[in-house]
Amino acid sequence: MSERQQHGELARRRFADNPFYVLGLRPDSTRAEVEREGKKLLAMLEVKLSAGESHTSPLGTHTRSAEQIREAMAELRDPERRLVHELWARLAPPTEPSEPASDMSDTQPDGDSHPGFVLLGFRRKTAR
Amino acid sequence: MSDKPLYVGFDLGTTNSAAAVFDGEQTTVIRNSQGETLTPSVIRIDGAGRVTVGSKARRFLERDPDNTHHEFKRLMGTGKAIEFPAAKLSKQPAELAALILASMRKDVEDQFGVAPERAVVSVPALFELPQSSATSEAAQLAGFERVELLQEPIASALAAGWSADEDSGAWLVYDLGGGTFDASLLETADGFLRVIGHDGDNFLGGRDFDWAVVDWAITQLAARQQVTISRGNPSHSGAVRALKQAAEEAKIELSRASSALLVANAPLIIDGRSIDVELELDRAMLETLTSGLLERSVEVCRRLLQQNRIAPGELSKIVFVGGPTTMPSLRDRVGALLGAPIAEGHDPMTLVAQGAAIYAATAGLDGRPTSARAGKVRGRRLWVQYPAVSSDLAPHVVGRVVEGEGPRPVELELQRGDGLWHSPSTAIDREGGFVIGVELIARKSNVFKLVARDNEGQTIPVDPATITIVQGVTISDPPLSRTIGVALANDAVRVYFERGTPLPAKRTFTHHTVEGVAKGAEGSVIKIPIVQGEYDRAHLCRLVGTLEIPSVEVRASLPAGTEIELTLELDRGGRLSAKALVGTIDQVFEEVAHLLVPAADPDVLEATITAMRRRLFQLRGDAFRQGLPQILTILDRVDQGLHEVERDLEAARGGNDDAGQRARRSLLELDADLEQVEQIKRWPELEERRIRTMTWASAALSQHGTPREQKLFEEVSTAIDRAASDKDPRELQRQLRLARQLGETAWYRDPSTWEFLFEDAVSQISQASDLPLAQSLTREGRQAMDRHDSTALRRVVERLWRLLPADVQTRRQSFDSGVR
Repeated sequence: MSERQQHGELARRRFADNPFYVLGLRPDSTRAEVEREGKKLLAMLEVKLSAGESHTSPLGTHTRSAEQIREAMAELRDPERRLVHELWARLAPPTEPSEPASDMSDTQPDGDSHPGFVLLGFRRKTAR
Repeated sequence: MSDKPLYVGFDLGTTNSAAAVFDGEQTTVIRNSQGETLTPSVIRIDGAGRVTVGSKARRFLERDPDNTHHEFKRLMGTGKAIEFPAAKLSKQPAELAALILASMRKDVEDQFGVAPERAVVSVPALFELPQSSATSEAAQLAGFERVELLQEPIASALAAGWSADEDSGAWLVYDLGGGTFDASLLETADGFLRVIGHDGDNFLGGRDFDWAVVDWAITQLAARQQVTISRGNPSHSGAVRALKQAAEEAKIELSRASSALLVANAPLIIDGRSIDVELELDRAMLETLTSGLLERSVEVCRRLLQQNRIAPGELSKIVFVGGPTTMPSLRDRVGALLGAPIAEGHDPMTLVAQGAAIYAATAGLDGRPTSARAGKVRGRRLWVQYPAVSSDLAPHVVGRVVEGEGPRPVELELQRGDGLWHSPSTAIDREGGFVIGVELIARKSNVFKLVARDNEGQTIPVDPATITIVQGVTISDPPLSRTIGVALANDAVRVYFERGTPLPAKRTFTHHTVEGVAKGAEGSVIKIPIVQGEYDRAHLCRLVGTLEIPSVEVRASLPAGTEIELTLELDRGGRLSAKALVGTIDQVFEEVAHLLVPAADPDVLEATITAMRRRLFQLRGDAFRQGLPQILTILDRVDQGLHEVERDLEAARGGNDDAGQRARRSLLELDADLEQVEQIKRWPELEERRIRTMTWASAALSQHGTPREQKLFEEVSTAIDRAASDKDPRELQRQLRLARQLGETAWYRDPSTWEFLFEDAVSQISQASDLPLAQSLTREGRQAMDRHDSTALRRVVERLWRLLPADVQTRRQSFDSGVR
């Protein structure tokens, strides 16, 4: 793989697999929120609820596996590694998602938040 | 039978084992049939094949040493057979461990009326895969249907943390066992327990304290009775053993009394003379005799703290574990030397077992047989997921209605047992699913009643009718103790799971074969070695298994450079499975050839020692010439270590396999120390990389970094300067990695970066899922580039990425590795 390809590969991965997107959380969520959300999603996958089975990133909708959730939780537990993911998640552009997020109506736009967060389906509260 | 859950934990120790149960609120240490909380890890099998376990067997250690074995924990996973000549039996270490576990399982049954089927067994922090899988195997042989393993320091901290009032801060677990010393640094924050670091000394244990007393006794006897006893003289070995026994007893007595008599069971026979031994030993003398050893253990703790940049004063507690730490003077001295408070009120001998039992609750391993747990309520089955133990005060209960008998509920409400809280009545969705947040009372066992209603609002029965959630300290997933990866042809390691990765875990990477394999050719095979260890050079890590792709099995010949997609998977107990997919011939290989700790052959060990001595000599010469005092300190440590290894090698030649294993492991560690020295020697090269990285990153950040990133970069720069002035290559590399990542985030904000990424995406559009769209996006991108509209360009790139093949998920080849 050329260096150039690697760069593209890396950038795509950092967006699509960003733990914040996997967990559907904002980059400023607390440690406790990460654990709570991760556990909830794992439980949802366990009982096969369809809402748990995919997540949204700036690159579209991806299937979400239990491994990915666990890995995301682990990444965000380590303060140093979390930092990098936070920076990448904050880097998220104000892009239009290819298909509107289905739970748009549930989102509560936050005064301080970037409009991109809402478009990306970030939710502070996990209203279902 | 009690309707409370039965969470069972075992501490399978080198010298002693213990069991405990946890019912959701309290732990109870199990007493064995002798009424003791400790079961010595000793097994005797007599001529009739009768098995004796524990303290009864220990009595035969002196009388019938051939048929009585102890300390087999150290041989776990080695494949070494242990002989019982009288019964003409040969047993694996795991089989002996199984006998201990079965005996303690029986003790639990005697006390609770039910033989547990699931349990947690603790293992040392640095146990490797073969040793862990041998432990799992032992539990299965002992009749457990499911078992999870937990690292001992986590178990101790969990047990100590469970009863602690305030639960944040750094903890030091000081675990002094019979033969080894382990120090672990843990951190609790928001009710979560995390291991920060670990260090230890394989040559320091309670036994060394006993030997210190024996040596003192020998000098006393020489002065008083003019008798020369030599520990190295084989004809004195009986006398030395008797003195050791007496020393052990006196030491234990001194943990309660201020002075004790050191008395041998029978007169010693030395060179034909009969010597009566009766010496008085007081606490002060014992402290003097053992202060050097204690100092060594504290040195390990200081090193661990320093590595993790925690000042001893910042420690919120020291937790003591292991027999020797029952000595009050030891605890006080360690506390005073480190200047940190001591966690009181814990039993150092059973703390690990108690922690294992608490963890069984976290892992949802109720030991009661399933039939005994089934609800009596008849009603619509609900499939409910919830944490049995939760540190979160407001966790979620998730579930769905199972197809089956009984009316279908449309709403569900959870009512807490104390009547002071209930959830809103929540509608069950079309899928039959529900997610309900609950509120817990801190440090209590919370029972919730599930109240389901039908369309008319009538209450209908559901099964389960109640669920129980315990609030307290948890560790969410058991972390992996040592990094696991694949050894590559160039001696690099492709890391699959880093230390601390929560289990279970599964990862896939793509590798390329170095050589071709001709179909059917004799003896030609592609080996994929799986290694465990913290070093980036494969040969310094431990080989724990090999996956083979033999020429006789491949469907077609494979040229060099064939892609192999390798998946490694670890279950919660740390068991490893490997699967290699060769896409070109659509064939899967799954067999891992061996999973044993390699035998420690004395000749190999000796050759290694000789080679290391030569390297040491050379490095020392270089260090003198270059005037690097810091290297000399490390080299002195290696030198000292090699002496210890030589002693163990001697014992290994005498048939002591345990010593051989220890020697082999120590050699690996010493080798890593030498490796570090070489790294320090390569310092100029690292220095150059530092300048390059920092120049690039600071340029990127000053142009495109946010104030926050710039501030972080300043912090990283400080850390880099510190690592550079400390001449700490490992820390420097770590910090440089962070600096590079910071630089990258800023780099992606640079408009020209998107031009670069656009070109890259365009170069791949032949693989796009929708070629016409990709081509029109390419045109759009070119126009955006001409307009210098970087926002539009960025959107184009992202849309292009969506069209490119989704192998991103699986192809996680490391960015900065030179790996094939």
